[in-house]
Amino acid sequence: MAELEVDRLTLRFGGLTVLEGVSLALGAGELFALIGPNGAGKTSVLNCVSGIYHGEGEIRFRDRNIAGCEPHQIARLGLARTFQHGELFPQMSVLDNLLTGRHARIHTNPLAEMLFLGSVRREEMRHREAVERIIEFVELERYRHTPVDGLPFGIQKLVGFARALALEPAILMLDEPSAGLNRDEREDLARFILRVKHELGISMIWIEHDLEMVADLADRIHVLDYGRTLAEGEPGAVLKDPRVVAAYIGTSAGSA
Amino acid sequence: MSRSPRASGYFRTSYDQDLALVQTRLERTSLGVFIAALLAFPLIASPFQLDLACQVFLASIGALSLMLLTGYAGQISLGHAGLLAAGAFTVGILFRETNAPFWITLPAAAAVGGLLGIIFGLPSLRLRGLYLAVSTLALHFVVIYLGGEYEARRGFSTGIVVDPPKLGGVSITDARAWYFILLGAAAATLLVCLNLLRARTGRAWRALRTRETVAEALGIGVASYKLLAFVISSAVTAVAGALFAYYRGFVSVEAFSLFLTIQYLAMVIIGGMGSLLGALLGAIFVTLFPYIIEIGLLALPGAQRHASLLFAVNYAAFGLVMILFLMFEPLGLVGMWRRMQNYFLLWPFKHRRAGGSRG
Repeated sequence: MAELEVDRLTLRFGGLTVLEGVSLALGAGELFALIGPNGAGKTSVLNCVSGIYHGEGEIRFRDRNIAGCEPHQIARLGLARTFQHGELFPQMSVLDNLLTGRHARIHTNPLAEMLFLGSVRREEMRHREAVERIIEFVELERYRHTPVDGLPFGIQKLVGFARALALEPAILMLDEPSAGLNRDEREDLARFILRVKHELGISMIWIEHDLEMVADLADRIHVLDYGRTLAEGEPGAVLKDPRVVAAYIGTSAGSA
Repeated sequence: MSRSPRASGYFRTSYDQDLALVQTRLERTSLGVFIAALLAFPLIASPFQLDLACQVFLASIGALSLMLLTGYAGQISLGHAGLLAAGAFTVGILFRETNAPFWITLPAAAAVGGLLGIIFGLPSLRLRGLYLAVSTLALHFVVIYLGGEYEARRGFSTGIVVDPPKLGGVSITDARAWYFILLGAAAATLLVCLNLLRARTGRAWRALRTRETVAEALGIGVASYKLLAFVISSAVTAVAGALFAYYRGFVSVEAFSLFLTIQYLAMVIIGGMGSLLGALLGAIFVTLFPYIIEIGLLALPGAQRHASLLFAVNYAAFGLVMILFLMFEPLGLVGMWRRMQNYFLLWPFKHRRAGGSRG
């Protein structure tokens, strides 16, 4: 059964059609890459799934239609995401960023918080432990208390990844996690993505420009171009598809 | 709000320790000394100094509540004087009409404040920045208008006289008793703010201040947290207004001019945005500032002849200080304090090690 199904998703901004009838299905535990040239609508798909944009068509999470839900309701169902430019909370420490990412899992009410009752203290400690496990998972221990705005970009991207994991999501949506990372950081990232897949069993939609990485890691690839589906399938087949090659590299006048 | 590890000698071994507000022995000792000094102050202070201290405590409560709303949740409000007035008038009207005791009027003031917080928080769901500020300004005029109408209709045209609150049949009129009451109220407000900020609500507020869409996508109900910030801040402000009414024994719309709102904003800005310590420092600074100017001015030779200028000089100096802070120290008094701390901690070095927390 598919964890997440996007069914004929169409998104228009005024006269501009950003997505046109895009359908895709994410299987349980699958690493699903979403690729395409700049402006193809990859991030728009994520924005629709996470409820930031509202398009036409259905988006089903475990057979429940979530199109039209507010972003925070969708996050509470267990759909977490990262953002292309990190979008961290700059003055907060790495720890507080992750605890904020865990917001939907923490259950304390403001009145009890005002007095910091025993229940609040216990809840805070419980979630601190959970967040510490994630910090360990992505090897951010030494930055735990550092405000994120002073951190190098590569580390910030990793914090964004960790913040999404902190929700303990059922589905993780990664928006170009490797953009701006150097070779070492990309290798670390690839390792973390594989560990998330194999150890935590979280299904992932993964927007990526590094095709080598996609070819190595992804289970399936979905290619978008100008808001339409160009191809979908196993990496080996899709990346050799002449239409995909044409969209990415272009064609010479002779062969077209 | 867990804090970074110390330079040396103190190591935390549990998450519980990391949550504690006061951690090292030095911190505990200095806090103890500070509290002892606050408790001993009335023994040596003159009535004038006691009154100043009480004013500082009242201002602290108002500044802390505004700091929650503006400095943490990022919602600008120009309705602060209006909310203080709402609290004060709740006390005045309930006392005049029903002779209600303080244990009814204070919760009532909080309830009125909270209700006004919901109503005037609603525009924040649509408006941002300056537009929101202007919409909250409406709150100010509505409350002041209603207060003025009440005064005029009931024939209290100069203001409403409120008797001092009675506790066990004894009226609280003693300046020292008021000192301790207001100190307690300010301390309780500070504790409530600290607790909120180190828990889920505080994190949600700080998150939505910088990146609303991201906060929403992480599962934070931005609309409800904005409203919550307005409700809590307004309720606390209204209680501050109610205490003010009892402390002065007198309620009148003239006390709640737009200038009062500006003074509170100044406390938050001069103190340092996004810091509770900043709110306290700002409250002290802004409250004492006019008295300091007065002392300074009267110390000048031939000052008596210019005494009539005092009022104007005060306004001008206040404006100048605001401008100077905005231009040269946007982090406020707290920024100065932290820089000084860092200077001594790092001396003879100039810069903290980049990245990482051990160092």
